[in-house]
Amino acid sequence: MEGARLELMTVVLQQGINGVVLGSLYVLVALGLTLVYGVLVQINFAHADVVTLGAFSAYFFIHGLGGGYLPSIAVALLVGSALGWLMNAAIFAPLRHRGNELLPLIATIGVSVMLENAMLAWFGPIPYAFESPYSNDVIRFGGVFLTLQNALIIATSIVTIALLYAFMKFTFLGKALRAVSQDRETAGLMGINPDRIVMLTFVIASALAGMAGALLGPVLVLTPFAGTSVIVKAFAIVIIGGFGNVEGTILAGLLVGLIESFTTQYLEPGMIDIVVFALLLLTLALRPTGLIAERREENV
Amino acid sequence: MNSRSRRFVVVQTIAAGLAAATLLASGARAEDKIIKIGALLPISGPGSYFGVQDKQGIELAIEQLNKAGVNGYRFEVHYEDSACGPLPATQAAKRLIEQYKPDVVLGEECSDATLAIMPIMEQAKVPLINAGSSAIKITQPGNPWTFRIFPDEVMQGNNIAANAYTKLNARTAVLLHENTNAGIGNANVFNEAFTKLGGRILADIGFGRDVNDFTAIATRIKGLGQVDVIPTYTLEGQGLKITQALMQAGVTKGGDGHAIQIGTIWLPFGFEQKAGKAALGYVRAVQFDPLDQRPLVRDFVAAFKAKYNQAPTHLNAHAFDQIMLIADTVRRGATNAQSIRDALAKTRNLAAVTGTISFDAHNQNTSMDTIHYMETLPDLTWKALGWN
Repeated sequence: MEGARLELMTVVLQQGINGVVLGSLYVLVALGLTLVYGVLVQINFAHADVVTLGAFSAYFFIHGLGGGYLPSIAVALLVGSALGWLMNAAIFAPLRHRGNELLPLIATIGVSVMLENAMLAWFGPIPYAFESPYSNDVIRFGGVFLTLQNALIIATSIVTIALLYAFMKFTFLGKALRAVSQDRETAGLMGINPDRIVMLTFVIASALAGMAGALLGPVLVLTPFAGTSVIVKAFAIVIIGGFGNVEGTILAGLLVGLIESFTTQYLEPGMIDIVVFALLLLTLALRPTGLIAERREENV
Repeated sequence: MNSRSRRFVVVQTIAAGLAAATLLASGARAEDKIIKIGALLPISGPGSYFGVQDKQGIELAIEQLNKAGVNGYRFEVHYEDSACGPLPATQAAKRLIEQYKPDVVLGEECSDATLAIMPIMEQAKVPLINAGSSAIKITQPGNPWTFRIFPDEVMQGNNIAANAYTKLNARTAVLLHENTNAGIGNANVFNEAFTKLGGRILADIGFGRDVNDFTAIATRIKGLGQVDVIPTYTLEGQGLKITQALMQAGVTKGGDGHAIQIGTIWLPFGFEQKAGKAALGYVRAVQFDPLDQRPLVRDFVAAFKAKYNQAPTHLNAHAFDQIMLIADTVRRGATNAQSIRDALAKTRNLAAVTGTISFDAHNQNTSMDTIHYMETLPDLTWKALGWN
């Protein structure tokens, strides 16, 4: 009896850890989406492909240039931010200035399709084996295990979230970003250049996506479509957490990660999407502003 | 020369020109006797590695055959991307039939896609040769125009279950499969056959193609007690992640566990190198044995290496065999869709690179020598187990 209880606790603890790892990955991807939405009220469908390109740039930095895995995360971050700058400067910003909100949204779909097919042409369709030196190093304690790669994912997520929080809360640019997010016109009257802030948002969001790609690479099946498989969940997380709400996104990301793990354990992996999207519908019906946003309104 | 004579000369010249043109045209027709082959392959999406490798095998076979032709015929291939899914496959099949008008079609690799294109081929009365889809429905009941050159899911599943029980002494199993016709079908057959033999299925775990992280699944398996074998039915990308997660959880031999993973022909060669230590002890049923010493196989391996500077995979091999099978029907007098179909139905004991091809009344290849079992050794090379 005691043995069975211990075994149950071990399984619960293990699935809890698995859920936190998965949730951390989702949070890294979803944060960029929610930032862009918060500032522009625009969904960026190309975000998934920045994740994929981040993963590929890390892969080729290691396998093509002989670089290490940890520096490859920084490389992916830089590639992501450069791509974010390029996409906004060349495509989204000019379209936004035409005054039609639909055009940049459709453009993100176009950029996504274009990037996917470009990657298909460059990298081919065969899955890449993106091995992190930490993937096969397993820490075992009391029947529970955690790979060093997963520990790195959790640690990176915590540091990223902390840095993003500090940036938004304590720096002038972070405050300006929040101001543009709340009221673009008034922020403009206060001397903030909204176009620069939008550009900054795209750069930060894409940098996060690129970094997420480098961390996801060893976890994902790395093909030109890798990011697409994560982005649907990321969208769900952003909606559950409250569009544009960073705290809500973090909470929802972890929640979805845990739901996935425990659904796999006690129901079926095939039920994961049913459970996650049932939660999404429930959120839309009961708390349409998301998990955190509504609580804020109540607190006011 | 008077005007009458001039007219005569002009008429003569025109007549001579027409005669020459007719002769040239008939000569050109003789040289242009072409067997048009349509290929419906996944060239995009998660199954696109099938299409890329199939194309290599097809191109090699076409190159070899067209050097001299067969019975005065040359072979031409037109590719369409069927993307491993029913909808894109249906669209591609219709496009192929309407625009290219093939004499014979190859494809698809994924069962759901193959099942979707079968009625289109039947309606168009164009034979379809399949080399990689295992769903039983393709040939049971099937249709008169669809032929499959490798064992169906029942033949494979029964064989894998019997070998797991008798050769590996497995008594418990966990089934891992993607939730597709082929994944579910293969798992069900193993389940039935293994249970009949006295084995016990501890869990039957299906998952969608969008699942990336298999740690939770590996954790669940770890909590099931002693698992002897884990038959796994999935494409390469997810297959890699499953194998690594099972090792990390300490379930399989690579992670100092007990369980042996059994894989199918869905996984391409090179899987072991990608999976690394996690693949240790992995037993895989493959459709082609590169160590086969038959001259036919050795010639194929040599020609493939010469053309592509790499060793062939089972996907290269079964695509090569499909073309050689068509060439065999032409050698036996087939010239169009109907006669190719009729000749295919009469194919018996054709020696091919993957094994032997003999079709039964349902157009299913009955030979089991196209299934080869391999075990992954610590240095990630293969040992042929010789179970069939």
